Amino acid sequence: MKKITFFLVTVFIATNIMAGGYQVRLQGNKQTGFGLVGTPMVFGSSSQFYNPGSLSFMKKKWDFDLGASFIMSSVAFQMSESNYQAESDNPVSTPFYFYGAFKINKLITIGLSAYTPYGSSMVWNDNWAGKLLIQNISLSAIYIQPTISFNINDKFGIGAGFVYAIGGVSMRKALNYSGDSYVELDGKGNNIGYNIGIFWRPTEELSFGVDYRSAIKMSVTDGDATFKVPQALQGLIPENNTFSAELPLPANMDFGAAFVFGKVTLALELDWVMWGAYDTLSFEFGEQGDLLNSDNPRLYKDTFIPRLGIQYDAGKLIQIRGGFYYDPTPTDANYFSPETVSLNNISYTLGLSIMPVEGLSIDISWLQIFGQKADKDYSPDNFSGTYESTAIIPGVGISYSF
Amino acid sequence: MKTRNLLYIVLLPLIIASCKPEVNDFTPSNGSADFTSFVSIGNSLTAGYAAGALYKSGQEVSFVSIIAQQMTYAGGNGQFKIPFMPTEDGVGIDAITENGLILRTKLVLGYSKDCLGNVSLGPVPAVPNPDQATLYTELTTSVAAEGPFNNIAVPGIKVGHLFAPGLGMLNPFYGRFAENPATDRLIDEVAKVNPTFFSFWVGNNDVLDYAASGGIAPITPVEGGVGTGFKASYAAALQTVLQVVSQGIVANIPDVTSIPFFTTVPYNAIVLDDQAVVDVLNQAYTPYNQLMEVNKLPYRITWQLGPNPMVIWDKDMPLPDPFEQYKFRQAKEGELVLLTVPQDSLKCARWGTEKPVPDMYVLTETEIENIKTATKQFNKIIKENANANDLAFLDANALLNKVSTQGIMQNGVLFTGAFVTGNFYSEDGIHMSPQANALVANFFIQAINKKYNANIPEVNITDFSPLILP
Repeated sequence: MKKITFFLVTVFIATNIMAGGYQVRLQGNKQTGFGLVGTPMVFGSSSQFYNPGSLSFMKKKWDFDLGASFIMSSVAFQMSESNYQAESDNPVSTPFYFYGAFKINKLITIGLSAYTPYGSSMVWNDNWAGKLLIQNISLSAIYIQPTISFNINDKFGIGAGFVYAIGGVSMRKALNYSGDSYVELDGKGNNIGYNIGIFWRPTEELSFGVDYRSAIKMSVTDGDATFKVPQALQGLIPENNTFSAELPLPANMDFGAAFVFGKVTLALELDWVMWGAYDTLSFEFGEQGDLLNSDNPRLYKDTFIPRLGIQYDAGKLIQIRGGFYYDPTPTDANYFSPETVSLNNISYTLGLSIMPVEGLSIDISWLQIFGQKADKDYSPDNFSGTYESTAIIPGVGISYSF
Repeated sequence: MKTRNLLYIVLLPLIIASCKPEVNDFTPSNGSADFTSFVSIGNSLTAGYAAGALYKSGQEVSFVSIIAQQMTYAGGNGQFKIPFMPTEDGVGIDAITENGLILRTKLVLGYSKDCLGNVSLGPVPAVPNPDQATLYTELTTSVAAEGPFNNIAVPGIKVGHLFAPGLGMLNPFYGRFAENPATDRLIDEVAKVNPTFFSFWVGNNDVLDYAASGGIAPITPVEGGVGTGFKASYAAALQTVLQVVSQGIVANIPDVTSIPFFTTVPYNAIVLDDQAVVDVLNQAYTPYNQLMEVNKLPYRITWQLGPNPMVIWDKDMPLPDPFEQYKFRQAKEGELVLLTVPQDSLKCARWGTEKPVPDMYVLTETEIENIKTATKQFNKIIKENANANDLAFLDANALLNKVSTQGIMQNGVLFTGAFVTGNFYSEDGIHMSPQANALVANFFIQAINKKYNANIPEVNITDFSPLILP
């Protein structure tokens, strides 16, 4: 299993765009098709992310789930009081997940997972109007989570996971010196956190879930900073420098309820994303700190995301899903940086599971995000304009239980 | 039926998927103005003079070129003819002597060695010791045949010069594009491009000439006839323009004492680190201090370790006639030393300590007061004329004052009044950088849009070059 995880980590260079801030919730293609609802559901080993409390409700002894999404996103920008337009050219990014779980006995289920809950990839033209704020950025975080889940009785489960997070950031922005000057930052960091959940299924038709995933401060120390500046400034701004920075990966608390009406399952979820932790993005440099250090206000606010998911069992072989959610922006209108174009997102999802043989499920999902057009300003740099974004995210996964 | 429904479900997203985000909320408009043909009247600032010279790429990024470009979205004909200089190094006037002009190329940032052997970065000529004859040819070769021109701004002109017949013989920057330099009047160039809209930013040199000469050249008097007094000349010039074109924008003039040409060299640049030198200087000025005491004048010259005010000539000192040669004193805080003061003379030839710094390099308190008073008077006249003729108006004085006091941030570029590092001023410390021209163009566009209910798009500042560092 370790080998597989390693393989995934290296193959999928996890450069993801966000849905709300830089959070990505594509941690299971069943859930993705279902409005990204997972907390009140039993979706096998992928519950390790959405609700470790429901993991122990998995039916078979072993359960594996593997999948990825393909994010094709685009942001359009128009400068205030101008016909100047720009469009981002973001690469396709591929958040992935892998889950394995083993039911030791009726009471205890253990699991191991690797997934990518945060990430962002934004590539603007190197000469665009906001080049002094950002030219391109890629954030990624991979969480490795061993999990234990207890089925207290047939109706009640609790679970907890320990999270080891590995993160990376690379970004580049232009500097207002001649000769296409820029600074490029490249760093890695890691930290730990946890994920706990409670699952309650009082009847076969009704289930509830609550999940809390802790915040993780992704600290980069001793990252590489490369400054390309005219020769005249190289005494002042050394070409090779180091930097440290800290990016909060915020806590989430999800509340969900699911109702079964015959072949139809309807679920509602409310996710509280504690973006308020993201106040300032600060960079400290190893050399010439007095000159180069910067504090960049972000002033994010907590958000609440309402979600709706519907699933229809169309016979033994097929399940069809749909979903809808509204993901409001955590950003402040006056501190809106084009490095993370997070607008008020209206999204719908579609999903299909095909189960050709007992225990095997091929899960296909489709997510489309419409970032609502809005006027934004990054006031410290007086950079303002109108943004609109879209993302199309097909996903595919395969799960097997036996 | 069921499979067909499924097909719709599969196809629907693909149809929606073809929609890419697009933001196009800006609708250019000419409002009540007609931007078909734009003519710009002004001095060096409008001509695109920068880095101490008029040169091709500087002319291309003059704020009026940028405005003309942006006007094409709102009905402009896109034909903004500029009397281009033949080279990128350009030609500037370094000095005017009895024997004629001394010319130079533009300034670039580069390294130079001072009298103490220290190498430092600063403005140096793009071509050191250029061939004067070549530059003279470049400056005076007529481009009149390529006219008529839309940018008829002429470096160096004062308001009164607009009416001077034969200005082209005195000012080669006009002479090179005038059809008959010996007789033509600059103001008559306006009509030649059948303009529908104009910009009129003049008056700067009427006070800048005084300031840049350390208070030696005269300030244009307020009163006096056309060609002499500011008030009559300004009104007459604008009326002449208005006979040809009724819509346009005028700008007032900045208080030049806040530009880096005057603010970069500190008044107390004499740094003494040797007590023996301090003692010698104090000893040497004892007779001076006694003389001032006898004449009941407050002037004293004293020295101490650390920074000391320079000793400067001050022709306004109220000393009785026989003591004319003692009209020098230490500079006061707030007095300004010009960027052109020979640094080597300060460092190695005892200027400012044993030898008073010549008047031409210093603006005294009185001179600064004269500049501020004249600027206020001229700006009052400019505003009155703008209002009386119902024209758009840009308070350039407030704008440049904001640059030097608070700074202006736009798209991540911070413009301040600092020399070289402030992004606003070019290598000569007086004229604007390419990015500053873009900023100023946007302020002009805002004022035009407001007055004429128009919607000319603003320009992206980061499309323009910062100062070039080696």
